[in-house]
Amino acid sequence: MPQIEFLQIFQGLATMVASDPVIAIARIALIALGIAFVYLGAKGTLEPLIMIPMGVGMSSVNAAVLFLSKTAMGTLFVDPMASEPVKLMDVLQIDFLQPIYTFTFSNGLIACLIFLGIGVITDVGYMLISPFRSMFIALAAELGTLLTFPIAVAMGLTYKEAASIAMVGSADGPMVLFTSLMLARDIFVPITIVAYLYLSLTYAGYPYLIRLLIPKHLRGIKMDLKAVPTTTRAEKMTFAVIVNTLLCLLFPVAAPLFMSFFLGIIIRESGVTQFIDFIGGPLLYGSTFFLGLLLGVLCEAGTILNPKVLMLLILGITALLLSGIGGIIGGYVVYWMSGRTYNPVIGIAGVSCIPTTSKVAQKEVRSANKFAVILPWAMGANICGVITSAIIAAIYVTLLR
Amino acid sequence: MESFWGSVQLMFFVYALAAVVSFAVAWIIKLIFAGIRLQGTRAGARAEAKAGAAAELGNAALERNT
Repeated sequence: MPQIEFLQIFQGLATMVASDPVIAIARIALIALGIAFVYLGAKGTLEPLIMIPMGVGMSSVNAAVLFLSKTAMGTLFVDPMASEPVKLMDVLQIDFLQPIYTFTFSNGLIACLIFLGIGVITDVGYMLISPFRSMFIALAAELGTLLTFPIAVAMGLTYKEAASIAMVGSADGPMVLFTSLMLARDIFVPITIVAYLYLSLTYAGYPYLIRLLIPKHLRGIKMDLKAVPTTTRAEKMTFAVIVNTLLCLLFPVAAPLFMSFFLGIIIRESGVTQFIDFIGGPLLYGSTFFLGLLLGVLCEAGTILNPKVLMLLILGITALLLSGIGGIIGGYVVYWMSGRTYNPVIGIAGVSCIPTTSKVAQKEVRSANKFAVILPWAMGANICGVITSAIIAAIYVTLLR
Repeated sequence: MESFWGSVQLMFFVYALAAVVSFAVAWIIKLIFAGIRLQGTRAGARAEAKAGAAAELGNAALERNT
């Protein structure tokens, strides 16, 4: 019987012992963090659709490090930096999640699939209630996306990196993924992880921001539901076709995102139930699942210990906070302009984390006045937020690529 | 390090351009909405006029027969 070294059998532990102490501690911390994400996701504190697969991926990938050769350690999950054709072919046959990463993640396809799904579940009719007010609020809620850019440059990031992290202020996961893949491929993993981590926190954090900045009597303002117009399918489809063509014409670099979103809207309004059920169900939730899982798997200790990560964490939260404040300021401006009949809480829905910020706004309004309904206006601002975010992402990518 | 003031200028440019395009989208929504409503109103008026004319013709025919 050969001599057995137990540490060689349990290689996850052996690599922990053999690696640099900083890496070992980071691995343990990330395993614990992954488990915490699963717990908080299951409890509903964080967004479960992303956090549960992400947490499992994060804890698994940091536990499952093995000796790939006598000198190299790694995992059998995914290699995000494999780009040479020969190396990529090898990795595709070894790392079990590499095909999904290479064919859906690194080319931005998964962001487009999620956008397609969001389009299918989005009723653009809400935008037609008051398009100018909604668009104004959405622009105000891009405050973080804009201000974080020079802040990040002042902190030493390049324009491309700064624009990518600034997009966290748009609170739109697929958009951040798309922009960082286009502009800052080297740090797209930490940027996207920071984005999704914080997007989960909007659900928990924005209610406090609303309560802090808007007094209860203003939060309880009732909106006139009779002002909600009925819109036909023809109107919505005409809108989607024209705006999609216009935006693709203006910003071809972001055409995949625009097309996916508006195609989803067109499919919804066309009433082809087979497509609607498939795209709004298995495709959207399947893409979200694999997005969460891959984000978790990409959270290896070596990646997270990138010195820029701490900076990205600070800039990400700054961007989201500024966007929330900007949205509320926009809500206040419309409140004053409308003769104090507009509920300023709708402003937070200009942050385009659809439909989370709308739900947060409605929940806060309901807690101040149980008869107040603002969801249609909030959804209008939310959809405008998606469009303005896509426009800003397109401008950044076009100018800086 | 890339220029900080350059980034501030770029920020204003991006915001201004995004605002112009976003409000253009809002205008398109208004135009589509108004256009389709107008078309609907016209179609309704035409249908009413046709129905009125048909009713008048019917009445005239009835009067002739009686």
